[in-house]
Amino acid sequence: MSILEEISEFLQKGKRKNVKALIEQALEEGIDPKMILKEGLMSGMSIIGGKFKREEVFVPDVMMAARAMNVGLSILEPKLVEAGNEPIGRVVIGTVQGDLHDIGKNLTAMLLKGAGFEIYDMGVDVSAEAFLEKAEEVNADIIGLSALLSTTMLQMKEVIDLLKEKNLRDKYIVMIGGAPITNEFAEEIGADYYTPDAASAAEAAKKAVESK
Amino acid sequence: MTNRENLLSLLRRQGYEHVPVEFVLCPHLQELCKEKLGAEDYEEYFGFPWRRVDDLKLADQDVEKFRKFYERPLAEGADIDLWGVGHEKSPNSMHMTYMRHPMEDMETLEEVMEYPFPDFAHADGSHQPEQVKKIKEQDLVALGDMQMTIWECAWYMRSMEELFCDMGDENEIAEFLFDKVTELSLIRAKAYANAGVDVLFLGDDIGMQHTIMMSEELYCRWIKPRLKKIIDEVKRINPEIIIFYHSCGFIEPMIPHLIEAGVDVLNPIQSECMDFGEIYQKYGDKISFHGTIGTQTVMPKGTPEEVKEAVWKNLDIAGEKGGLFVAPTHMLEPEVPLENILAYVEACRTYRRS
Ligand code: B12
Repeated sequence: MSILEEISEFLQKGKRKNVKALIEQALEEGIDPKMILKEGLMSGMSIIGGKFKREEVFVPDVMMAARAMNVGLSILEPKLVEAGNEPIGRVVIGTVQGDLHDIGKNLTAMLLKGAGFEIYDMGVDVSAEAFLEKAEEVNADIIGLSALLSTTMLQMKEVIDLLKEKNLRDKYIVMIGGAPITNEFAEEIGADYYTPDAASAAEAAKKAVESK
Repeated sequence: MTNRENLLSLLRRQGYEHVPVEFVLCPHLQELCKEKLGAEDYEEYFGFPWRRVDDLKLADQDVEKFRKFYERPLAEGADIDLWGVGHEKSPNSMHMTYMRHPMEDMETLEEVMEYPFPDFAHADGSHQPEQVKKIKEQDLVALGDMQMTIWECAWYMRSMEELFCDMGDENEIAEFLFDKVTELSLIRAKAYANAGVDVLFLGDDIGMQHTIMMSEELYCRWIKPRLKKIIDEVKRINPEIIIFYHSCGFIEPMIPHLIEAGVDVLNPIQSECMDFGEIYQKYGDKISFHGTIGTQTVMPKGTPEEVKEAVWKNLDIAGEKGGLFVAPTHMLEPEVPLENILAYVEACRTYRRS
């Protein structure tokens, strides 16, 4: 097994210390930090995401893998900046106004990060105005909205309506998700993508920015 | 049958004479019921078959001592509960709060061990036998409500992400914390059992909309044995006690484990996540059910007719032995029309087996 495959394996098992040690070793061996990111961390996150989608692993496994990814990224990031590595896109994500559930939103953010996106996590109870303001500020590609309550899912429409009102609807890809959300609902309010789980969200986001 | 006998017999799948009603209203709907129906106490107004008995009373009620555990201070006006968990309010989310976790930043076992857990060992339970007696005298079932028993209790203090990582790392923090909350829950559970409650309501959320929250393996390693320990001890005190267990979401793979742990009645069987007919067919001879009327779908969005049909359909599935205490699956939120609540009640009261 190559060292990058090993990093990916340990990441999938959530072994932060091993991931850290191996990345340091890989850097010493002169391996390109971008390669470590792609073939080590991102490949590991993509595999664990696939397993999560197929229900072979569950929330805890993804959380632990994401931890290991973050430990790895903290070592890699300075080198990546030096190398001028660009994210594949920017995502502003948050839970809509009135809703305080954030476990699914966090998981989605983790897997998007693992897929190479730069994430601006707005937290919970985020107003339509705040989403828009942040998206404009960071020049986002995607706005990701999460809602877990049948009451607050209606807030997603508010965000889309605000985009329309400001003539910015076409500028952003709007992705929505959360337990009560369905494809029909996404169509009804005019969102671009709905995915039932976080791993599919990362895949859809990648495709969406590629074809933008 | 008396009211009490009716519910207990229904829960034991030994037949019943009338269909009891029960639900939980959010503050907004409570106000609405007062205004529109003159229902000062909705449990009494609608004739719920049970009443809650108060938990043990702690000698030390001071929650300010927990504030120092929040490195990032709690928002102004936040409440702290007796476990030290912070609940921050939001002007946009009505009665709902955002939870903050006092143990989230702890890194060592020592820090966790020094945490001022609520001292239930020296708490006062003298009111409990008295309350139980009163409730039974009114021909009602006495209920001890102890949801968030082990997993959620530990998760709320430590944060889900930290706790899952502790469990995955097999570290001492997870072992200590789960042992500690089990010890404290056991004290409360035994007090309820000794006071004579008919029903003890336990619970820990282990389901999500379409999948289980953690693997069966992880559940069985950390939580199932501790739940079983509590139930075993309680049933040693009173073999007749009925154990309810709550978990939202899809939990089908967990049901055999819960049965093995000693659960008698499962709540809420979210209709959006599991098919009651299927679940009943598989497990209906070993366990009873409470809930099944969806609060994501039919209660807020259905017509009164649809609510009634859902109630009747599920009662038909359970059949004449009972085994289904039919009720909405969760607290009713502001968007649920009053007509639908009344339709649920009417459906229960007018049910005739088809
Ligand atoms: C955990 C939980 C809580 C926790 C939340 C902790 C936290 N920090 O998030 C606590 C206990 C605090 C809580 C509180 C409440 N809850 Co709650 N909760 C749940 C529960 C059990 C699981 C949700 C969860 O975290 N799942 C795990 C994650 C991983 O799954 P997920 O969120 O669905 O996310 C996945 C996908 O949806 C998707 N996804 C998520 N977001 C996004 C975003 C994008 C852009 C994309 C593409 C994808 C995506 O990817 C994720 C991973 O695959 C659900 C049950 C259920 N059926 O879902 C109830 C549930 C959502 N809660 C419910 C309720 C009613 C409440 C309360 C109102 C209870 C109350 N009366 O106080 C409060 C509301 C607080 C508020 N204002 O938000 C109801 C909602 C019913 C309804 N009417 O819609 C549910 C369905 C339970 C039920 N029995 O009915 N809850």
